[in-house]
Amino acid sequence: MIRVLTCLLILGFPAFAAEKKIDFNRDVRPIISDKCFKCHGPDSANQKSDFRIDSLENATADLDGIKGIVPGDLKESEVHWRIRSDDPDDMMPTPKSKMKLTEAEKDIIDKWIQQGGEFAKHWSLNELPDKVEVPKLKNNEWERNEIDAFILAKLKEETLEPSTETSKEKWIRRVTFDLTGLPPKLAEIDAFLDDQSPKAYETVVDRLLKTDAYAERMTSEWLDVARYSDTYGFQVDRNREVWQWRDWVINAFRENKTYDQFMTEQVAGDLLPNATRDQILATTFNRLHGQKVEGGSVPEEFRIEYIADRVHTFGTAFLGLTMECTRCHDHKYDPLTQKDYYSMSAFFSNIDEAGLYSYFTPSVPTPTLELPTEAQEKQLAEANKAVADLESKKPKSPEKIDSTDVEISKAGQLVHLDFESNEKNKFQNDADKEKPASTNGNNKVVPGKFGNGAKLSGDDAVNLPKGTANFTRNQPFSVALWMQTPNKKERAVVFRRSKAWTDAASRGYELLIENGKLSAALVHFEPGNSIRIRTKSEIPIGKWQHVAMNYDGSSRAAGLQIFVNGKLAETEMVRDNLTREITGGGDDFIGLGQRMRDNGFKNGLVDELYVYDRQLSGREIAKLAAPDKTVKSDSSHHFLTQNENAKKWRAELKTAREKRSAVQKGIKEIMVMRDKAEPAEAYILDRGSYEARADKVTPATPEVLAALPDPKNADRLDLANWLTDPKHPLTARVAVNRYWQMMFGRGLVSTPEDFGSQGKPPSHPELLDWLSRDFVENDWDLHHLLKKMALSATYRQISDVTSDLRERDPENIFLARSPSRKIAAEMIRDNALAVSGLLTEKVGGPSVNPYDLEASFKPSKRSTGEGLYRRSVYTFWKRTGPSPVMMTLDASKREVCRVNREETASPLQSLVLLNGPQFVEAARVGAQKLIEKHGANDAAILTDAFRQFTSRRPDDRELEILQSLLSEQLAAFKAAPAKAAEFLKTGDTKTEEIENAPRLAAINVLVSTLMNFDESITKR
Amino acid sequence: MNTTPPICSGFESPLGVSRRQALGQFGGGLGGIALANLMQGKPGSPDLNGGLHHKAKTKRVIYMFQSGGPSQIDLYDHKQRLIDETGQELPDSVRQGQRLTGMSGNQASLPLVGSPFKFAQHGECGHMMSELLPHTSKIADDMAIIKSMNTEAINHGPGVTFMQTGSQFAGRPSMGSWLNYGLGTMNENLPSFVVLVTKGKGGQPLVSRLWGSGFLPGKNDGVRFRPDKDAVLYLNSPNGIDPSSRRKMLDRLNDLHEHQLEKSGDTELETRIAQYEMAYRMQASIPEVTAVDKEPESTFKLYGEDAKTPGTFAANCLMARRLAEKGVQFIQLYHPGWDHHGGLPGGIKRQTKETDQASAALVTDLKQRGMLEDTLVIWGGEFGRTNYCQGKFNGTNFGRDHHPRCFTKWMAGGGIKGGVSHGETDDYSYNVVNDGVHIHDFHATILHLLGIDHERLNFRYQGRYFRLTDVHGHVVKPILT
Repeated sequence: MIRVLTCLLILGFPAFAAEKKIDFNRDVRPIISDKCFKCHGPDSANQKSDFRIDSLENATADLDGIKGIVPGDLKESEVHWRIRSDDPDDMMPTPKSKMKLTEAEKDIIDKWIQQGGEFAKHWSLNELPDKVEVPKLKNNEWERNEIDAFILAKLKEETLEPSTETSKEKWIRRVTFDLTGLPPKLAEIDAFLDDQSPKAYETVVDRLLKTDAYAERMTSEWLDVARYSDTYGFQVDRNREVWQWRDWVINAFRENKTYDQFMTEQVAGDLLPNATRDQILATTFNRLHGQKVEGGSVPEEFRIEYIADRVHTFGTAFLGLTMECTRCHDHKYDPLTQKDYYSMSAFFSNIDEAGLYSYFTPSVPTPTLELPTEAQEKQLAEANKAVADLESKKPKSPEKIDSTDVEISKAGQLVHLDFESNEKNKFQNDADKEKPASTNGNNKVVPGKFGNGAKLSGDDAVNLPKGTANFTRNQPFSVALWMQTPNKKERAVVFRRSKAWTDAASRGYELLIENGKLSAALVHFEPGNSIRIRTKSEIPIGKWQHVAMNYDGSSRAAGLQIFVNGKLAETEMVRDNLTREITGGGDDFIGLGQRMRDNGFKNGLVDELYVYDRQLSGREIAKLAAPDKTVKSDSSHHFLTQNENAKKWRAELKTAREKRSAVQKGIKEIMVMRDKAEPAEAYILDRGSYEARADKVTPATPEVLAALPDPKNADRLDLANWLTDPKHPLTARVAVNRYWQMMFGRGLVSTPEDFGSQGKPPSHPELLDWLSRDFVENDWDLHHLLKKMALSATYRQISDVTSDLRERDPENIFLARSPSRKIAAEMIRDNALAVSGLLTEKVGGPSVNPYDLEASFKPSKRSTGEGLYRRSVYTFWKRTGPSPVMMTLDASKREVCRVNREETASPLQSLVLLNGPQFVEAARVGAQKLIEKHGANDAAILTDAFRQFTSRRPDDRELEILQSLLSEQLAAFKAAPAKAAEFLKTGDTKTEEIENAPRLAAINVLVSTLMNFDESITKR
Repeated sequence: MNTTPPICSGFESPLGVSRRQALGQFGGGLGGIALANLMQGKPGSPDLNGGLHHKAKTKRVIYMFQSGGPSQIDLYDHKQRLIDETGQELPDSVRQGQRLTGMSGNQASLPLVGSPFKFAQHGECGHMMSELLPHTSKIADDMAIIKSMNTEAINHGPGVTFMQTGSQFAGRPSMGSWLNYGLGTMNENLPSFVVLVTKGKGGQPLVSRLWGSGFLPGKNDGVRFRPDKDAVLYLNSPNGIDPSSRRKMLDRLNDLHEHQLEKSGDTELETRIAQYEMAYRMQASIPEVTAVDKEPESTFKLYGEDAKTPGTFAANCLMARRLAEKGVQFIQLYHPGWDHHGGLPGGIKRQTKETDQASAALVTDLKQRGMLEDTLVIWGGEFGRTNYCQGKFNGTNFGRDHHPRCFTKWMAGGGIKGGVSHGETDDYSYNVVNDGVHIHDFHATILHLLGIDHERLNFRYQGRYFRLTDVHGHVVKPILT
């Protein structure tokens, strides 16, 4: 009937179609974007031709007397001639481009020029309208809410009719999976079937939205967007602990956080006024990209990569824009520039982070948020108070001291190397003869400051034995030496207690030359967790200098000093945030002149190295610098060397600080965003290369969209506020579209990742706008949005498709039926667990390892007990070898932000469901429960099992098939009871007291079969 | 050779058929969807010998990837001058400010080291090869050796990713996935893109995305065959379930699906039925093809005793031949362990002992079975190694760091001109001086041999068309027949 109507329409009114007014966005943009923009589009810098067809101004420009388009005048429009030309030199697109315009496309372009060649802003860049009219249709008995009015209006246009209403059983199955990712329980189905009230459907939706399962399902969807992973990714792919962020997401959905707040906290929770711990935790979202540790990598290359990932994720997740296209050049299709890209990236680059995480230590890459438990929080407060109390009780030494010549006490002296001779590659240690320093022949003995010294090769270290001077951050210490640099060093390691530079994130303490200046530091993780000071003046070249690094054990930059030639050097504070230990990472001894994969002190001279495990007084250091001169004592010298009260006080303080450290050490931390005090400089990177800095940029939003109200000193919070503006053209549309896709299988914009010119235009633009406006007006309430969809008549249709309807609308764009679709990977597994009763209903916590992780490309040991039976949202995600079951069933790999999944059907999926231990075990446990419930009543078992997997009762034919299945299997297992016993052993759950193994095995196969049945794994 | 960094504007009409497009095109026809869903079309037109755009010269590829970066200097790229100048500093005029890795980049001294291994000419063509390759040198006349390979990556992660996907960063489809997408399958009982990784080798870690489908539909993922009972994930029925029991179960499952199909007319159910039938056939066909132990003793003589141990490189070479015989189109081997930063002389000896005989055997074996003419065999890694010593050079022992500017790969078989040596490096094996072959060129050449124009095999994602060669790539014609 429908078909006949269409034919009549087409045959009856051919002229109507031909004279239809050309709509630029609908008709013309897709053609010129796809076939013209590459060479005549917005990326003017990278195209040969001067002609651009991306705006009226450009398209009508006079180029040497030729105009591409003269509105209304085909003959004068060069475009017309070029697209109609057969001459290979003239024709457009060029033959070399291997693109062609169809005749219909040429007609559209001509007609568009004739009708005036109007341009329109790309639909998705127009502000979200304040109000959208709901179509008023005459025959509207079908409508249940506004959604249906829009759908029906379009169906009428297409001369299609909606399908009939689906059964209550199918509807509750559909909605329960869509909203919770789990099947409805039989009792829930029964209650719904019995509920004859007009509110029955709404009751179900309201109930579902309140469940934890809903929060988990919504989280599962968001993890793809957030590229969530429990490991760092790239090549080495170590584990990292970020599940606390995943739990933040679950909680956000559980409390139905408004979507604008949900976005704001993830983008900029740290910048909210009086940000709570949870709000800061939300920003982990920006750090979930892969991170690199491979030795020898260039840190800046990867730091830039991380920032890029944040921008791309922000673009895809919230704006539906393909920002990545503008990383190297202006966008080929959309009005986005390279400057826009780097202005956006400036919002995300302003944190104190490293391009590589640490290979030799398990430090969490900075910036981090500490996540103390309640008990730890209390302990920490107490420990902090104890330290502060003691610090305020500093004893005093007399102002005036008898000015005698200072003698340097040998107390605390651990090392003294005079470098007089190198015997068998050893330098004698005068402080401890048992502990000489070792080196090799490349470090030469040469005339030094006093007698001989050493000339360092830069590739060879002078190392003290294991454990020498392995100071904690609570231990005051002092290192002094004579040194001479042969040239201005960009970077050179003078001494260090530290295994490596980037490979250990400089864990330990060190004295470097950086750009000719001395730089002293104590480091937990470079750059974010350390204290560092640097001298203001450069160290003289080619002259012996006496240098000392002096530290008081306070974990503060103010407690760190550099002395040059006996005088306290003027320094600047570079970093002052040390909250964790500096020991560890290997090489627990002090060494000179070289460090793994760092720049050594090439051709540097050293002499008279002293190491003390106490803070030296300034007077003592002065004496070391001038042993022949008289150095008078002073109050501070007295305090550090003679004052007994001070000595006692220092010991108490050290104990208090150690207690504090012990508490801090046990506190978990997680990567978050924290802006630097001074905004970091940001640049356009030429062709996207980290080495090619071009113009400076400041944080800004893309020019084609609304500007920030106050563009000066903008930060991520300004960006978040801009994003959640009620008029923002993209934010609400992109979100609504994704949730529409979740409920209806296909977005109103079927390219949810691209709302730009190359994306697909919306099938129902007014509906998208209406829903978006409604969403914003209702405070970005997801419950409101989802309820609207779930309760629509559109959602309530049958999914069966007639061959006619399939022919008319194969992709189901117009929704004259409900979509059918394989349920998501997580749901397939969770369904099996739920039906069998094995599913653990615990919410949150560390990720777990189901059976299949043992069969992963990067295998890890499976969990025991409940860890095997938790919802798939908790499955440990290893980037370089994700859960093979999830992968086989089409889950996203979570390498980068993804907003949709491709659905496939492969035999490998069947093997997983047929043979995977998780599924076979679940089927057995389910079978056991059926027997417990129904005893010997086969018919009851068949019906019950079928209902569990399909939510409906089997028909006669289905019962007949299942009956044959059961008898065949039973006969076979009876004939071979040993096989039954073997089969029943699958999985960790033990089945006890098997009365009738062949029967249990046969029912196990039955349940397994139903688990593989199309209706159990397909949303219909 | 590419001198400019890539800008992304590859753009052609899309060729492959996505599920959505398939639905659009074959929506009405029964079975159309089943076909589109499961098989991604048949190989290209018979007139083109399986090719898509032009006549294919090869039907399948066996790619022996040598992960870690084998030293070109000690295997194929003989340099007398380097040997003569051993111990001297790498001249700045040679390095030309090139970036080094953080592993040797901060070394105060970069001493040159020539190869301590003897080189000689082999075959009629006279390929120079080192004494480390006694077996490979015997197939010299079948090999086209490319000495001018080059890349931009200086570390393994980006390097291998670049070599296998055409981009240094994660997210793009692997070469095998592109072929799968373009050519479909030749045997519906086996996956068309199979991955074999040598078992138990340390070395630089490999990651599964190297055979991933990126943004292509997931069915184009490579399928890794493991060297154990379950060659693919959960291939075998659970204990206690024999084939007849499984058959009976599937018959009833089919009954349910057919009944459903009758009721609803939904052709997706045909897909479902086909999917389970194919799984059933795979349960038989995969154990059959992986039963390497059924080979006669002469095979093990050829490939070496190692081939008897599942998961060794030799066993994987043999497996590759068996898969090729059954119509598997792209067989990707991975053999890690070439990352010789230190102790190179000993390390490379062990490494070549594991690989030399089997690599040569594979070519020989294919040849004697008449399959070499339509099988492309490739050998090589992600980059080369430096001509200078990483760390201390004590006169005998040394290591080499990663080197992107030149390295060697070889190809043999379908469409390849045996005995050709292509490209030239300078006297220090540091820079390419003639006929550079970039990774994109390498990819373009492989696609060309399979009858694919690399500029026309593309996929639209996020609003633009992507292809394996990005916007680059030239077919390396001199090595082709």
